[in-house]
Amino acid sequence: MSSALENVRILDFSRIWAGPHATKLLADMGAEVIKVESTRAWDPHRTIVGSGNLPDGERGSDPWNRSGWFNTLHMSKRGVTAELSHPDGKALIEELVSISDVVVENFRAGAMARRGLGYEDLRRLRPDIVVASMPAFGNSGPWRDFIQYGIGQEQLGGIASMNGYLGEAAPVKSGVNFGDPISGAHAAGAILAALLYRRRTGRGIFLDMSQLESTVGVVGEHILGFQMSGRAPENVGNRNAVYAPQGAYRCRGDDSWVTIAVGSDLQWHDLCELMGSPQLADDSRFSGVLARHRNHDGLDEIIRGWTRDQDPREVMHALQAIGVASAPVLSSEGIFSDPHYQERGLLELVDHPSTGPYLMPGVAWKMSMTPGEIRWPAPRLGEHNDFVYGELLARTESEIAALRSQGVIGTVPDGMGEG
Amino acid sequence: MADGHGLLAGLKVLDLTHYVAGPYATRLMAAMGADVVKVERPDGGDPARHIGPYPDDEPHPEKSALFLYLNTGKKSITLNLKSEAGRGILQRLARDADILIENFRPSVLPALGLDYASLAASNPDIVFTSISNFGQTGPYRDYAAREINLYAIGGLMYITGDADREPLQMAARLAQYGAGQNALVGTLSALWHRENTGEGQHVDVAISEYLATTLENALSMYSYTGANFPRTGNRGYGRAAWGPYPCKDGYVGVIAGPDHRWPAVAELMENASLADPRFDDRAGRAAHAEELDGLMLPWLAEHGKREIFEQAQHLGLAFAYVASPGDILGWEHLRVRDFFAEVEHPAAGRLEYPTGPFKADAAPWKLEPAPLLGQHNREVLVERLGYSTDDLVRLREMDVV
Repeated sequence: MSSALENVRILDFSRIWAGPHATKLLADMGAEVIKVESTRAWDPHRTIVGSGNLPDGERGSDPWNRSGWFNTLHMSKRGVTAELSHPDGKALIEELVSISDVVVENFRAGAMARRGLGYEDLRRLRPDIVVASMPAFGNSGPWRDFIQYGIGQEQLGGIASMNGYLGEAAPVKSGVNFGDPISGAHAAGAILAALLYRRRTGRGIFLDMSQLESTVGVVGEHILGFQMSGRAPENVGNRNAVYAPQGAYRCRGDDSWVTIAVGSDLQWHDLCELMGSPQLADDSRFSGVLARHRNHDGLDEIIRGWTRDQDPREVMHALQAIGVASAPVLSSEGIFSDPHYQERGLLELVDHPSTGPYLMPGVAWKMSMTPGEIRWPAPRLGEHNDFVYGELLARTESEIAALRSQGVIGTVPDGMGEG
Repeated sequence: MADGHGLLAGLKVLDLTHYVAGPYATRLMAAMGADVVKVERPDGGDPARHIGPYPDDEPHPEKSALFLYLNTGKKSITLNLKSEAGRGILQRLARDADILIENFRPSVLPALGLDYASLAASNPDIVFTSISNFGQTGPYRDYAAREINLYAIGGLMYITGDADREPLQMAARLAQYGAGQNALVGTLSALWHRENTGEGQHVDVAISEYLATTLENALSMYSYTGANFPRTGNRGYGRAAWGPYPCKDGYVGVIAGPDHRWPAVAELMENASLADPRFDDRAGRAAHAEELDGLMLPWLAEHGKREIFEQAQHLGLAFAYVASPGDILGWEHLRVRDFFAEVEHPAAGRLEYPTGPFKADAAPWKLEPAPLLGQHNREVLVERLGYSTDDLVRLREMDVV
């Protein structure tokens, strides 16, 4: 067996990022993920506008298959379409449930039940099914019908309340919608734990995964801390409660920065030597971590003066050579050109039939015996209808053709014309 | 396991982790019923014990909120891995473990003869998971990093903060928590493979790569267009209404979603100008961002965050607000769902802990207090490994435990 999860089949109704991130991690590990869309209701990531979502900004003949957001998150998954409001479409999905190990969805609470695919329905079809249900606020409680995305989970989950520039009250959002990958990775872990449980006990399980609770889980120390002190953390910008100096310092070039964190007096001493200012090590304003915290602004100015004309990667190498933690602030371009990421194989060339070959982020960790791999590019809408319905559900070619002509399955989103 | 109810009941985990990333992975395992034995250094234990916050700001190694939260339900033993006797005990524990998880720098365990190859020699089907800043290979393998350096190298920092100001780290420890989550997924995947084949393996998780693989479309955008995903402050993707805005008593998330519901914003804010079709889609809101903000800010300034959030949600809008830990503890929604569990700790007392990222009637969370340093030395060394009480005294005198 070359993939860890080769014998796991996941039926994936999820959309956007949180659910697709969960199944991406599992697909990377070899699970057979079947993503369910329809020609009326496809993953909105396929048709998101702007943000460099299309190769060279070109729509091409099938823009819904060219989305960078979608194609990053769905590599190695299979894609089918089925119109759930049509009895034949419903029958296809029910049959797929009966041969699947896991069902994943991140619709709003109750949406699956309204489609006749609630936990009880799924269990009738497959008694030991593992279900990961990921609505924004969970499947119970007064906010169960509220909706939310990763951006709002950052705020409600407590992450934003401590995130911002030093001395300013305003929160600053992360550069992505961070609630999503947090919930996605939690779901992937929970699904695997549930599969091990099923293997041990023979029982399936319903996992009610609130994305809000998932997010609060990564600030747990502050939930405890508030009870201890009655205080919440304030914005510290790029500083740290312990290490000083710590910050982001401008370097040579456009929008070019390096981060530095000094962890001890000895490191401070060595940094002064490196900066060619050994006398600073004896300067009473900066001797001892308490003094360095008090005079951090002055320190920042001195370090900025030293980094200003340097390359950030060279600063990192020089500082690491003396044991000081440092790293350049990498843009996407910086990640693509970074020798460490290149040697580790972070990016992989993926040849998608609707876009041609592009480098995409690969598997997020390494395994010695079952290295994850990108097996194929993200599926075009309904790309695997023939395989899944023909091979897995044993529909004949003429049956599949009939489903197509009745509009139960298809490969072109409604209203988007011929592909 | 006696109770046998957790999803991971019966699983034996040898936990050589400290700080945040590894401990979060093993916290989740312990709360799902795994038997987690945490190995700490005798002089001070897990450094997280020495990071606050603490009750009344009084530092105490048994009262650190960070340590208490991340180590619920684990057993703590102390072992000096620099001593031969300490290493021998660790090797015996590893022989019997399903999983060993560690987050030392990559050079540390090989130097002690406790790396994957050495321990797998006597337990070939062990799943051995290493978490490190940069991974077990590559030119930066042995480089040092704090959280800020990880956000920098992982690409998140470049796109966080205002366009014309310095890029910002994240204050929450998202890099380490996230790598811990990936470590759980990698470890359990390897365990599944072992259940199928009997084969163990080494899992290599880099915290920097966790971040670089959670950048949404930033990398595909560069691939597709050659352009860097920019830093846009609180205007996510350059849009209006996709970020936090000031309101009467804090900050509220004005989040324009779902798109077709935008006209409800005009209803919420009692301002027909907001229903102007120019604002109906994302591109329009981005093009007229300043004007749009100007229409919303006066209304927001007169209304409170909780009120705005709930009213907007009742209109079908995905608004949020910037909640503090105190706000979160007060929400009835989480109370009704039993998200918090009271845990009584012998030193830190009774506190409410977040349980975990899912609810399952058949497998409730198992939250027991975090261990005191070396609390389970006797249980593990004497009762499990069969050392005598005299041996334990000798090991103590030799500073092994």
